[in-house]
Amino acid sequence: MTSPPLGFRETVLLGLAGLVSFIGLWSFLSVSGIVPAQFLPGPLDVASRFVHLLTAPFAGATLPAHLASSFQRYAYGVLLAAAIGVPLGLLMGFFRLLDDIVTPIFDGLRFIAPIAWVPFAALWFGTGVGGPIMIIFAGAFPPCLINAYRGARFVEPRLIEAARMLGTPSSRMILEVLLPAAVPSIIAGLRVSAGLGWQSLVGAELIVAAAGVGFMMVQAQGSVQTPTVMAGMIAIGLVGMLIDVLLRQGEGWLRRRRGLDS
Amino acid sequence: MASVASRRTLIGGMTVIGLVVLWFGLTTFTGLVTGARFPSPAEFWLSLKQINGRGYAGSTLASHAFHSLKLVLMGFTVAVLTGVPLGLWMGWNRRVEAFINPVFLIIRPIPPLAWIPLAILWLGLGDAAKILVIWFSAFVPSVINAFTGVRNIDKPILEAARMLGTPRLRMVREVILPASLPMIFTGLRLSLQASWTTLVAAELVGALVGVGFVLNMAQQDIYPGMILVGMVTVGILGWVTTLLLARVERRALAWNVAARD
Amino acid sequence: MGSISFRNVDKVFGHGTGGVKALDDINLDIADKEFVAIVGPSGCGKTTCLRMVAGFEAASAGSVLVNGRPVTAPGPDRAVVFQQFALFPWKTVRENIELGLRNKNLPVGERNDLVASALKLMNLETHVDAFPHQLSGGMQQRVAIARAYVLDPEVLLMDEPFGALDAQTRVVMQEELVRLARHNPRTVLFITHAVEEAVYLADRVAIMTRRPGRIKEVLDIKAVRERENWDSHARIEDVMDLESFVHLRTHIWKSLREEKGFKDV
Repeated sequence: MTSPPLGFRETVLLGLAGLVSFIGLWSFLSVSGIVPAQFLPGPLDVASRFVHLLTAPFAGATLPAHLASSFQRYAYGVLLAAAIGVPLGLLMGFFRLLDDIVTPIFDGLRFIAPIAWVPFAALWFGTGVGGPIMIIFAGAFPPCLINAYRGARFVEPRLIEAARMLGTPSSRMILEVLLPAAVPSIIAGLRVSAGLGWQSLVGAELIVAAAGVGFMMVQAQGSVQTPTVMAGMIAIGLVGMLIDVLLRQGEGWLRRRRGLDS
Repeated sequence: MASVASRRTLIGGMTVIGLVVLWFGLTTFTGLVTGARFPSPAEFWLSLKQINGRGYAGSTLASHAFHSLKLVLMGFTVAVLTGVPLGLWMGWNRRVEAFINPVFLIIRPIPPLAWIPLAILWLGLGDAAKILVIWFSAFVPSVINAFTGVRNIDKPILEAARMLGTPRLRMVREVILPASLPMIFTGLRLSLQASWTTLVAAELVGALVGVGFVLNMAQQDIYPGMILVGMVTVGILGWVTTLLLARVERRALAWNVAARD
Repeated sequence: MGSISFRNVDKVFGHGTGGVKALDDINLDIADKEFVAIVGPSGCGKTTCLRMVAGFEAASAGSVLVNGRPVTAPGPDRAVVFQQFALFPWKTVRENIELGLRNKNLPVGERNDLVASALKLMNLETHVDAFPHQLSGGMQQRVAIARAYVLDPEVLLMDEPFGALDAQTRVVMQEELVRLARHNPRTVLFITHAVEEAVYLADRVAIMTRRPGRIKEVLDIKAVRERENWDSHARIEDVMDLESFVHLRTHIWKSLREEKGFKDV
C-alpha cells in the first residue's frame, strides 16, 4: 500500500527542502566553477538579467515587447485552430461521410511533428507573422478537432434520439444538441491545444522569426549570453503557466456550472 | 460491423485517390500551384531520387533518417529509464513526491523546445545536445504517467499483495510495476511523440545531419520537393516507431482487457 | 489454531471534532475452526471489523487479537477474500494462487503439490493458465478463495465475497463454501449484508447496529443446524425452506429492521 497522505506541515517543509536543494545545487555548480559561469550563470544572475530585460532592449526589443509579439502570433494561431478544428470536429461527429473522408487524411498527417511544417510555413506565409502562425496552428489544431469530434460522436445517444423524435433539423441538432453536449470535451481539447500551441510557437520562433521570445533566445545563444537565454526560458514558462491556469479556471467554472464536478 | 469497416476502407481509399488526383491536377496539369510553392509529383520523385542517389545535405536519405532515429531512440531510452523509475518512486513514496513536486512544477511549464538554445550553448550542434533536449521532453510524460499509474492502482490489489506477505522487492517487480504498466505505456507513447517533435526542432535549429537538417537545408535552398521528402520521412519515422511501441505494448499487456479492445 | 477476539474495540475515522465513530465497543470471540458471520446495515462498520483483523486498519481503542496476540500488520496467516476478488490481472490463475506460497519460500515441489490440490479443491484445473479477465466472476472468486485456502491460514477473512456475483452463481458458491467449511473447517470471519447467506453458512451470526456499529446480538445457528440436521440437504433452497431456517432468518430480519436507516440499504 502507498503511504498515507502527509500532513500539511510535512508537505510544505519537504517541498521547501526540495526547492532549496535545487537552487542550492544550481548555485553551487555555478559559483564553484564546476560549470563555467558563462554557461551556467547562478540563479541571481539570471534573475537580475530577467529584471534588466524588462526595460532594456535585446535583439531589437525589451522582453515584454518580445513577449507581446509572441503572444500576438500565438493568439492568432490558436484561435484559427479552434475556429477551424472545433466546427470541423463537430461536423465529423455528425456526418459519417465527412468522418470517413477526413479521418484518413488526418491519420496520415498525424505522425508528422508540427514543427516539421516550418519550411513550408516559411515558404507559403513568410517568416514574419504568417509562417509562425501556421506552425502554431499545426500544433494546436489536432486536439481541437479530436476533442470536438469525440464530444459530438459520443453524445449520449438518447439525447439525439430525443431530439430526432422532436423533429429537430440537422443544423439545429448540431448547434443545440451536439455542441452543448460536446462543450466539456471541447474545452479540455482547447486547453491541450493552448499548451501545444505555445510549445510550437517557441519552436517556430527559434527557427524562423525576426521578433519574439524565441528569436531573442536564439540571438542570445548566438552571442553566448546564457543569462538571457535562461531569462527567456523563464518568461516562456511563466506565460505558459499563466495560460494554463486561466484555462483551467475557465474549465473548472464551466464544469461546475454544468454540474459535472461538485 | 464488417460492412462499416469496409465502407470506411472504401471511402478512405477513394479519399486518398482523390487527393493524389488533386495533387496532379493542381500542379502538373493545370499549374494552379506552381513548383515554387508545392512540388508536383514528378518534382517530388526527382528529389527523392536525388537524395537517395548522390545525396542531399551531406548524405543519403537513409543515413539522415538512420541518424535521427538513433538519436530519438537514445534520448527516449534515457528518458524512460530515468523518468519511469522516478515516477514510480514518487507514486509509491509521498515524501519523495512532496520533495520533488515543487521543483517539477517550476520546470515543467518550460516547453522542451525552449531548452534547445541552452542545450546548444552547453553541448554544441552535435548529438549530445539533441539527446539532452529529447531527454528533457520525453522525461516529463514518463514521470507523470508512471506516477499516476502507481497512484491509481486498485487498493484491494495492494492489500491482497500485502495480505499474501509479499516482500518489498517482489512487491515492486510483480505488483506495482505491472499494475502501473498500462499508464506507463500511455506515458511512453506521449514521450515518443515528444521525442520526435523535439528532435526535428533541434535539427532545424542547428545540426549537421538528420531529417530536420534536410528540412532546414531544403528551406534555405527554397527546394519544395526536398521539403516534402523531409516531411514524409518525418511522418514515416514517427509512424513506424509508434507502431513498434504499440507492438511492445500489446505484448507486455496481453493480460490487459482494455489494451486488447 | 486460529481464534479471533475483539476486546472493547472502538474505531474512529478522522481526527478531533471531524472524527466519525464507526465502531463502538465491539466485543466478540471467535473460537478456533468456528465460522462466524457478521450482518448489519450498510456503513455499520462490519467491513472495518474484518479489515482490523486483516491488519489493514488499526483499532482506535481496545484490541484485536488473533490467537491471543494483537494484530499489527497484514500477513498470510490471515488470508482475505475480497468482494472485488482483487486478483492480479497480469498473473495467470496458477501464478495468482502461487504467489503467497512463493512468499513463504516453499520449495517448488511442495508448491506445485499445494497449488494442484487448491486447483482441484475449487474445480479450477481446466483454467490453470487463464488470465483473470478471461474468467467469469464466479470463477474469479474461486481463484481468490483458492489463493486464500492454499496458504493454509489460521483464519480466513471473507468480505462480502459473493456480493459482486449474480444470483445463480452466488448460490453455487455458497453451496461450495458450505462443503469446504464442513469438510475442511477453518476459523472464518464472514461479512455480508445478505441475511440468508449468513444463516446458511455460519455457525454463529453477529448482528450489528447502525453507525456507530455495535454488536447487538449473536445467534447460535450451529445448534439449530445440527439439531434440525440441515446438512442432510444438499441444496440451499431445501435448507432455506426449513421452518427452523425461516424462523432464524425472520428473527434477524426483524432485528435489523429495528435499526433506523435499514430501509436506506
